[in-house]
Amino acid sequence: MATTTLEPRASTYRRSWVLEWLTTVDHKKIGILYIVNSFLFFFAAGILALLIRSELAIPGIQFLDQATYNQAFTMHGTIMLFLFIIPALSGFGNYIVPLQLGAPDMAFPRINALSFWLLPLGGLLIFSGYLFGGAAAEGWTGYAPLTNRAEGVGTDLWIVGLTLVGTASILGAVNFIATIFKMRAPGMTLFRMPIFVWTVLVTAVLILLATPVLTAGLIALFIDRNYGGSFFDPSVGGNPVLWQHIFWFFGHPEVYIVILPAMGVVSEILPVFSRKPLFGYRAFVFATIAIGLLSFSVWAHHMFTTGSVLLPFFSFMTALIAIPTGIKMFNWLATLWRGKLILATPMLFALGFLSMFLIGGISGVMLASPPIDFHVQDTYFVVAHLHYVFFGGSVFGVFAAMYYWFPKMTGRKLNEPLGKIHFWIHFIGFNLAFFPMHQLGLDGMPRRISDYSADAGWTLLNMVSTVGAFMIAVSIIPFLINVVATFINGEPAGDDPWEGNTLEWATSSPPPAYNFDRLPPIHSERPLFYLTHGHGHSAERPDDLERDAEDDPERRDGLA
Amino acid sequence: MPDTAIGFVLLGIGILVVLGVVFAISSRGGPASTAGSPPRGVHLPGPSFLPVVLSVAVALMGAGLAFRGEDQLANPFLAIPGLLVLVIGSIAWVRAANHEWREVEHGSHDDGPAH
Amino acid sequence: MTTRQMQAHPAGEHEAAAAIQHGDSGMPTALLGMLLFIASEVMFFGGLFATYFNARATTPGAWGPPEGAHELDIALAGALTAILIASSFTMQFGVWAVRRGDTGKLKMWTGITLALGVLFLMGQIYDYSQLGFGIADGVFGTTFYTLTGFHGAHVFGGAVGLTIILARAVRGQFSARNHVAVEAVSMYWHFVDVVWVAVFSTIYLLR
Repeated sequence: MATTTLEPRASTYRRSWVLEWLTTVDHKKIGILYIVNSFLFFFAAGILALLIRSELAIPGIQFLDQATYNQAFTMHGTIMLFLFIIPALSGFGNYIVPLQLGAPDMAFPRINALSFWLLPLGGLLIFSGYLFGGAAAEGWTGYAPLTNRAEGVGTDLWIVGLTLVGTASILGAVNFIATIFKMRAPGMTLFRMPIFVWTVLVTAVLILLATPVLTAGLIALFIDRNYGGSFFDPSVGGNPVLWQHIFWFFGHPEVYIVILPAMGVVSEILPVFSRKPLFGYRAFVFATIAIGLLSFSVWAHHMFTTGSVLLPFFSFMTALIAIPTGIKMFNWLATLWRGKLILATPMLFALGFLSMFLIGGISGVMLASPPIDFHVQDTYFVVAHLHYVFFGGSVFGVFAAMYYWFPKMTGRKLNEPLGKIHFWIHFIGFNLAFFPMHQLGLDGMPRRISDYSADAGWTLLNMVSTVGAFMIAVSIIPFLINVVATFINGEPAGDDPWEGNTLEWATSSPPPAYNFDRLPPIHSERPLFYLTHGHGHSAERPDDLERDAEDDPERRDGLA
Repeated sequence: MPDTAIGFVLLGIGILVVLGVVFAISSRGGPASTAGSPPRGVHLPGPSFLPVVLSVAVALMGAGLAFRGEDQLANPFLAIPGLLVLVIGSIAWVRAANHEWREVEHGSHDDGPAH
Repeated sequence: MTTRQMQAHPAGEHEAAAAIQHGDSGMPTALLGMLLFIASEVMFFGGLFATYFNARATTPGAWGPPEGAHELDIALAGALTAILIASSFTMQFGVWAVRRGDTGKLKMWTGITLALGVLFLMGQIYDYSQLGFGIADGVFGTTFYTLTGFHGAHVFGGAVGLTIILARAVRGQFSARNHVAVEAVSMYWHFVDVVWVAVFSTIYLLR
């Protein structure tokens, strides 16, 4: 069934396209499958968000009873995190990383396909709770003992589905790390890899080390629910705080898993659209590694109010992690400084990322302080923070990646005016939806409530937030129109529509099955830039020209 | 709104969106390719059903665990077919990988196996 | 937008591709994959150990099998430990043999390792049958069976891997130059052994 030698016809003959996409092991097709699948889940979870916001716009229960409301915010969070953001970024990673490395595919192509297919199936399991008496309803964080005692099969489906999704992630991480270490083109040392590849590498290490802990916790929870276990339920001798420790030991690296690739995307886009190299490449690399390492030391800042954690330690480590993040911020700004800015849609989303993630980061540092956190824990302040970093950060990164790499993946450029309309409605809607939540949290509005009193004084801000949410939904319309219309009849993009610096632009759009006919020589982290502009024609010099001679056969042979 | 209704609404919307995307992708046609064959030394594995098959098998087993009855380890109608398919699929996978390794060892040393 | 003139690296690409798969430059890719997978499994057991330690630290009263059940059988567990440690030695002898090209010894040592692994599993099952408490019998029961049970499942997985390489060895598919699967399975087997030493030390010795 599986052949190993390349069929020369494989890239040119057309079988049934259903079979082709079902059986593909090509990282590019798998990347597209990831992205399409994740956007489907995005829409599903987005609809849930609209339901939530509609219910909360004014006091009183309008149409979602409490049980259904609980399912809505649980599924919204679970789907957005596990089935939209991470797979979407994974999809871009799958498509782009081998290209940026000059490799023909990922290290383990068939396992790559397995990693993908586990996702829609896991998602189906999670969602199918709705068909069998109610989906999981205990929040995406699944706190015990609520999850221990929840009736019905929805929570069990959530546990099992997440285990599948987690396993898929872990396999993907193995693939990415092996690919990055073993399949770089000649001349591409680690410190010449694009920053996007670095962020994918660190993300993969985080996934590899953090997700198994979640798996252990989920299995323990399943045992508690189904086989009479006593891990988390205090009524049988268990410890509910144990669940929080296990969950957040995974959960905190998880949020860095979500943000780092988006930071990588932004680090790719800013230099290209400022016509300047990225400022401080090495600092970026070390900052990313530092964030990865530190992310394992901060988990209990989600648990300050349990009374069971060492507050000074976790507060200190959390504040510390703001430093490498701040370094990145300054490096991005320095990249923009005095650049010839081109405000195309990818750049707009990248700039949106910078500003929105900054706000989210600031509210995060505020939350790192226990005196503040004790006041706003489990309020809308936290909801504001997480949406600024997840949505303003990662999702803006996903859209930036979409607009940036769509031409490479399809050979056609997305329409610019439609893209700008999408961006602006999205940006304004996003801020309208989530900025008021900071104030709501400070005013004491708890999260995960389906209703509130008209006397609380929260009504106006909730209404504003709901308007913003619907604006976000409306902004998706020009995006969808853009994507579909461009697929059908878009303007051809050519190999390198943005004048990029990295290797993915050195091949056709879309690339052939084996990615490259030939590779340009690699002497720096901007191999394409030097190919066009030549050595010594710009203010930059490729690094280590002398040391290159040993590892570049062409130079050694005196051909360069 | 009852839970199942929401489920069906979401399913319905999902189906419509899927069909829309499918229409868009299929109307564009198959993958473009400008060159006939890859450079020497580049080895690409062939397509395979096994990833889908194994994913379905594991999902069946998972569903079996979730839908278990009282005093059962798992629901046998879901878990046993899932386990069978998993075992058979895994054997097929390992055999395919073995076959590819042997081709490398006994064929040219140009290229390596896929997984 | 400009078109690019490429300089070809046909020789470099070819050598690089072959080198990557055969691991001429460093570790074979498949072996790296196995090591990474083992790292994730270490973290999985880390999570399970965390539940054990937390339960141990926060559960009031005596820590051990519930009233009326047998005490843990350290002698049997100790024997199982010895069996598994021995099997790591025999596995390594097999790896050294195939590195020398001695496929006969490879088959022998792999067979012995597999037999020891199966013996471990049988011993574990026998132990379970004698214990007199279950996973639903309190915090100790839950953590004990989860930790040892998942370890046993990993031993079973390793046994499956050993069976596969034994079969392939019998069919003559390994040589000094090409035996990555043997190396990979041996790494996994050593990992399973190390985890057992940790489980045994924690549950039976440290208590």
